[in-house]
Amino acid sequence: MDGALSIRNARKIYDAKTAKVLALENIDLEIAAGEFCVVVGPSGCGKTTLLNAIAGFDTLTSGSITLDGDPLASANACASPDARRIVVFQNGALFPWRTVLWNVTCGPVMQKRLKASEANAQAMELLARVGLLDSAAKFPGELSGGQRRRVEIVRALINQPKVLLLDEPFRALDALTKNVMQEYLIELLTFVPKTVFFITHDLEEAIFLGDKVFVFSSRPAKIRQSLTIDIPKPRRHDVLTSPRFLEYKSMLSGAIHEEALRAFTIGEKELA
Amino acid sequence: MAVDLANIERAEVSSTGSPVIKIFLRHGSFIVSLLTILTLGLAWEFAKPLGIPGLLRVPSPSTIVTASAELLHSPTFWQACYKSTLRIIAGFSLAQIVGIPLGFVMATNRTIFNSAFPVAETLRPIPPVAWIPISIIFWPTREESTVFIVFLGAFWIVLLNTIGGVSTVDKVYSRAALSLGSNRWHMLRYIIFPAAMPSIVTGMVISMGICWEMVVAAEMIAGDTGLGYLLWQSFEINATAQVLVCMFAIGLAGFLSSAAIRKLGDLLTPWSKKD
Repeated sequence: MDGALSIRNARKIYDAKTAKVLALENIDLEIAAGEFCVVVGPSGCGKTTLLNAIAGFDTLTSGSITLDGDPLASANACASPDARRIVVFQNGALFPWRTVLWNVTCGPVMQKRLKASEANAQAMELLARVGLLDSAAKFPGELSGGQRRRVEIVRALINQPKVLLLDEPFRALDALTKNVMQEYLIELLTFVPKTVFFITHDLEEAIFLGDKVFVFSSRPAKIRQSLTIDIPKPRRHDVLTSPRFLEYKSMLSGAIHEEALRAFTIGEKELA
Repeated sequence: MAVDLANIERAEVSSTGSPVIKIFLRHGSFIVSLLTILTLGLAWEFAKPLGIPGLLRVPSPSTIVTASAELLHSPTFWQACYKSTLRIIAGFSLAQIVGIPLGFVMATNRTIFNSAFPVAETLRPIPPVAWIPISIIFWPTREESTVFIVFLGAFWIVLLNTIGGVSTVDKVYSRAALSLGSNRWHMLRYIIFPAAMPSIVTGMVISMGICWEMVVAAEMIAGDTGLGYLLWQSFEINATAQVLVCMFAIGLAGFLSSAAIRKLGDLLTPWSKKD
């Protein structure tokens, strides 16, 4: 399996009108193929900046990002976005003017990797796996928030990306739906293992999903703490109350709270 | 809000109320509209005998009904409706055919935008009616100059709405499409065009209203047929009731054509009803 993501000395300076803003400061991250990496940090710390650089939406000021040895981003240059790394966006990016099925199949068809009929068959199989077979002909606007998130994850997976980039994908969901979605994601990934780069504000979500959790400091983002979560997968929601889970939570919560407080005092806004 | 209230009342009363109340609650808004129009008509009808100033010189509704019965039987009236409608269709369609692609090109190409936008912004504030003399000089026939005025009325709205729609497409969609492997053609066809469609449809609906304004003005000044011309001729021969019939006919035609464009808009944006 491939999808090893390596981030070395990543640094990003935004050239704002008034002053230069340092968003990322020497981030070093090694994510092994198939690993679920979660980044937690306060609002506006630069998590999305890093994700944008991996996805090819933005450049780095210095440092480098490679995927299986292929350069994705280096100083002031980045490989254009493609299906090797697919983003699931914070507020969702399903095309509302097209049906669920079209949304899911458009990737492989546009890349000319699959014929429409083959893509349809694969899409139906994946949609069935997340319980959305009946929704294939609907418009995204007709689905609930949780259903839309599932479609979006399916749309990402059908492209066989090497790495899945999830930018607070469950932020807009209510707490109960969020829990269910997290279990869904873990289950899907046991069928289709992928390297995952997952951004969240939510510490419990981070520990529940992650193999590795990185706590980012408030801006400029540095890795403040990193932790390997040694709870076997697939995890169910009852682990949330297990002693080991609580132990991980207490190990991380101090650092996170401190950074959140700092960001709050400075009044950080999101940049990218 | 009013509709909501009506629904709530319906839910509470319909199980117990009398049949009359039930009918009223079910068709309440329609009955209210009808009653309002009837009341206004009656007030107008009796305003003259009562000597209300201002309405003294305006023909009463009964005179208008008689006049419309006459007018509806005359081929001149139908000929006028037909001519005006043709001009509307021509001017409106031309505005879409030129305005939408031009708006697209301007919104997606910086050089073209920079060269075309100042020109557009200089010409746009000139009311289309002010173009009538030049239009008569420029175009060989009155027909063409009238269509041109209708076109102008719709064109700016179509152009600006298209530019607005295209340039405000959420970048999250284009980013997602790039990741999914879209090329420039895919991006235009599958992302930007449909994303801009609701704004383009709004432009169509608004511009249809302006088209009727323009056709009437142009026909009044420069026409030899059409509803605007007929209206002005009726005024000149002192047939005031006929003037009012023409006014109502124009109002109705504008209402119907806007409704048709809205329907077309629903067909062009089938997803927007499903949110």
